[in-house]
Amino acid sequence: MTIAPELSDQVVSELADAVGGQHVLTSKTARYNRARVPAPFPVHRWAERVPDLVVMPASTEEVAEVMRIANAHRIPVVPRDGGTGLTDGAVPERRGIIVDVKRMNDVKAIDTDNRTCTVGAGINMLKLNEVLAPYGLLYPDDPASYPCSLVGGRIGTSGWSLIGSRYGHSRDLVLSFSFVLPTGRVIRVGDGGGPKVSKSSTGYQLKHLFMGHQGTLGIATEATLKLIPKPEAELSPFWAFPDYDSAHQCVQKLAHAGVATFAGAVLFDEWKVDYLRRDDEAYIPQPADVRALVCAVAYGNADEVRAGGKRFMRIARDAGARYLGDEISQGDWAARHDRYATPLHGRTRAGQVVPMSWHCEDSAINWTDLPQVRLEWHRIADDLRRRFDMFDDWGIFAYTSAATGVDYLTEIDIGIWEQELDDESWTAWVQAKKDIAEVAVRHGGSISACHGACRDGEVDLVPVELGGAFDVMLDVKRAVDPNNIMNPGKYLLDRAYETEVE
Amino acid sequence: MTGYRYHEQHTPPPARQVTDVAVERFEHIFEVDPKLMTAHVAQQLFPNWDTLRIAASRGDHLEWMHRHWAYQVISAQELLDEIESEQPG
Amino acid sequence: MTDVPPRQSPAPEEQAGGAADTGHNGGNGHSPVTVEFLSEWRNAAYNCYSSGHKFCREVCPVMQVTRNENHTPTAFHANVVAMEQGELTVEDVAEDYVNCTQCGACELRCPNTLFTGDFYRFRTRTVDLVKRMRALAVDNGVHQPGYQRWNELTDERSHEPVLGDTPVSQEHVRDWAGGLDIPIGGETVLFVDCEAAFYRTSLPRAVAQILRRAGYEFGLMTEQWCCGGPAAEMGYRDQARRFAEHNLADWRAAGVRRVLVLDPHDYITFTEDYPEFFGDDFDIEIVLVVELLAQLIAEGRLTPTVPIERTITYHDPCRLNKRKGVWQEPRQILGAIPGLTFHDVDRVTQWSYCSGAGAGLPIERPEIARKISENRMDEAAQLEVDTLVSACPWSERPLAEAGQDRAIDVVDIHELLAESLGIDVGGRTRA
Repeated sequence: MTIAPELSDQVVSELADAVGGQHVLTSKTARYNRARVPAPFPVHRWAERVPDLVVMPASTEEVAEVMRIANAHRIPVVPRDGGTGLTDGAVPERRGIIVDVKRMNDVKAIDTDNRTCTVGAGINMLKLNEVLAPYGLLYPDDPASYPCSLVGGRIGTSGWSLIGSRYGHSRDLVLSFSFVLPTGRVIRVGDGGGPKVSKSSTGYQLKHLFMGHQGTLGIATEATLKLIPKPEAELSPFWAFPDYDSAHQCVQKLAHAGVATFAGAVLFDEWKVDYLRRDDEAYIPQPADVRALVCAVAYGNADEVRAGGKRFMRIARDAGARYLGDEISQGDWAARHDRYATPLHGRTRAGQVVPMSWHCEDSAINWTDLPQVRLEWHRIADDLRRRFDMFDDWGIFAYTSAATGVDYLTEIDIGIWEQELDDESWTAWVQAKKDIAEVAVRHGGSISACHGACRDGEVDLVPVELGGAFDVMLDVKRAVDPNNIMNPGKYLLDRAYETEVE
Repeated sequence: MTGYRYHEQHTPPPARQVTDVAVERFEHIFEVDPKLMTAHVAQQLFPNWDTLRIAASRGDHLEWMHRHWAYQVISAQELLDEIESEQPG
Repeated sequence: MTDVPPRQSPAPEEQAGGAADTGHNGGNGHSPVTVEFLSEWRNAAYNCYSSGHKFCREVCPVMQVTRNENHTPTAFHANVVAMEQGELTVEDVAEDYVNCTQCGACELRCPNTLFTGDFYRFRTRTVDLVKRMRALAVDNGVHQPGYQRWNELTDERSHEPVLGDTPVSQEHVRDWAGGLDIPIGGETVLFVDCEAAFYRTSLPRAVAQILRRAGYEFGLMTEQWCCGGPAAEMGYRDQARRFAEHNLADWRAAGVRRVLVLDPHDYITFTEDYPEFFGDDFDIEIVLVVELLAQLIAEGRLTPTVPIERTITYHDPCRLNKRKGVWQEPRQILGAIPGLTFHDVDRVTQWSYCSGAGAGLPIERPEIARKISENRMDEAAQLEVDTLVSACPWSERPLAEAGQDRAIDVVDIHELLAESLGIDVGGRTRA
């Protein structure tokens, strides 16, 4: 097991030579503030997750030099981009060096002819799109953390996009990237060798391998991205249903409609509607017979969005839906580009407001299995709430991941009152996460559609989900990172080195 | 013109109960029923200008988000009305 | 600082929306004043910590320059949780809190404000937190040398040392009004901030002469001191309160009912700090001049007629746009001035803009403040304008310096209006 040695003055001085002394941060605040991400956190055990120091490199070359130093001294390295991930990828479990890439946020090139841009991994998508706007171009990678997550983190997570059913997800939108391996070697990873190629059959297809690894294989430093023309038009109707089953049927009819501008559809269950009635201005006044919601989203040329939109409206009407009106539809959708929970959604069993952190389980589930998974998940969440008055079931969403309706990002949102956490409740929580993941795997889905699956609890199920493919993961990890310096402790990858230890 | 006056700012309009957990003081601005914030989290003192500032900023922000993603927003109600006029019933 | 009554009136936790049930926080070796602070800020800190979404980060002007997560509002709140957990001390965290202009972008952009702040009457208050943490540091004997010196000089001279080595003084605070024959006292007085009174005297002269043109009667204070806001921003709360008490006493002695404010920073001080200090006793009406002028134009009492042939953009002062939601009136004024070509940038985009001049950042971190000014002028340069108009005197000096390299003039909106009204303002901007 790799654990950071006490970093010697020698190491600190080598790092200072590599990135400049002012970019090596050793203060307590620098370290404590890079120990966590938005996911619920065992506050009472904060000190266990604090890194030894932070470096803020400005270039691929500086990252490579940091990596060479860390590898030579066998020091754990944890990359940190936006720090907005929900699977603890950026949380250091064995101390070591945090490589914070936020200074690498420049736009290096905009190629309007081929519609690409090349950026530093530390740039945020919203800020990038402000730069692209005068060119009439858009980078359509749209997570709920759109205004704050960074391109490099999207690569490390293999992120999921709200409008991915039309424009693809991070893996489709990132054409290539510079990647620093744990040895300090720099490679360019993409479809084939050219930096702006969207489809290649040359050699092994390594792009997927080096996306979604949660920092366990290396650090992305620069990326070339596929751009789209900024859409002429947007449409986002929301509909109400008297029961979940009607809404469940309708959402798939919308996905099956074959509308080219279809960018996604969302299904909200009864628990989610109840939760929205707590504090969402759109749903507070809704009549009691509103028990489920569906929305469909379209982007593209105005004439095409209109034509497709009429088809959506017809399908929903025929499915018994009630259109909620333009104000709610447009307002709700515009708020989903930054739809992280706010803590005061939290309620005790007595209904009192308390600040709760937000856990979002994010499995990939086939449409046919959504009704059953939903019930099993709520049972787990409700059992947790019964036992500890510090958990809260915030309901379930399901979003199309692709235009065909094959699978849905299915999330149960659970509030956790971190102020009250102790070892007993934390242990129960970790078990609940494991139980939730087990349901997803048993139903033929995947533990995570968008966040990754390396947190305590669900991570135990990863070898079960992946089977023999997990053994190949171990082989790859050992081959790429011979000294296990990259984000050690994540994804059970220590197992790759167990024979060596013996 | 009327500027800032302390007493005006700290005299909110009366609350109208909207649901069992929400009230309304300013038009179209809902607020939590204050009885839900008595045990663990106390409400802050909110001058009227701040409530109105936040609500207006929210609207401005959402409008900005629409413009950020697309040049125009299409009204689904218009599409529905077109369908209804094409196929009555 | 929010608009709250004095400390003795409500329970202290209501300030930050603290715990209704006390008993948390533990001593953890903190001083009593720190323990009280942690109790007061506990829920506010967790309300950020338990979200952790960081929508504040990319709108923060400091963060856009340093990219250092220590300087994020997220860290500012998390430090409070870590202190409560006994992991950090005020000595560990104090210096990080200089990295803030108190522009308010973070707390407005926070979903806990923007989407639910009004609903719960509980919003993110990063600006208040920064002020309180700076004050807590001072209370614990931890001083930032630049702030300490600045506030000592302000205390000595009763005005901020805005002229550097050239001392400011009480006998010169009304020099800007030379030749204008403005009376002392009256029901309405014009308050002129330190920067405008001593450095940019053309600005108060413009305001005074525009008001006179409209037939709006006003006087000056008998003995105006600094508003005290900068001291409150930098953590010297006792000093801030002393200055506030002096000015309120001056108003009361002269029978003043209404104070006109031309500086957005003063407007914050008078509508947030003074109400906190004086609570129900604060019975002075505060009028923002830029709002008043927009109204006088709308009523036809002012009609700008001299064409100004400039291609401009408008800089939304943070304390008006982000912290007060005032952005329409300056545009109404600009819309009334003939000859201007206006390349406007919407108020939401400008949430991430700042001049860098707020809350003492240029005192402790001049290099960061300068870079923020340069970033702001880079945005203006992309619009191919020759002039940036601002409504905040504190922004105008640093932006003008950054504008020099980009061939962009920085002009005050009041001075621009005066010019279009055919007023020969007089006064000057000191070099």
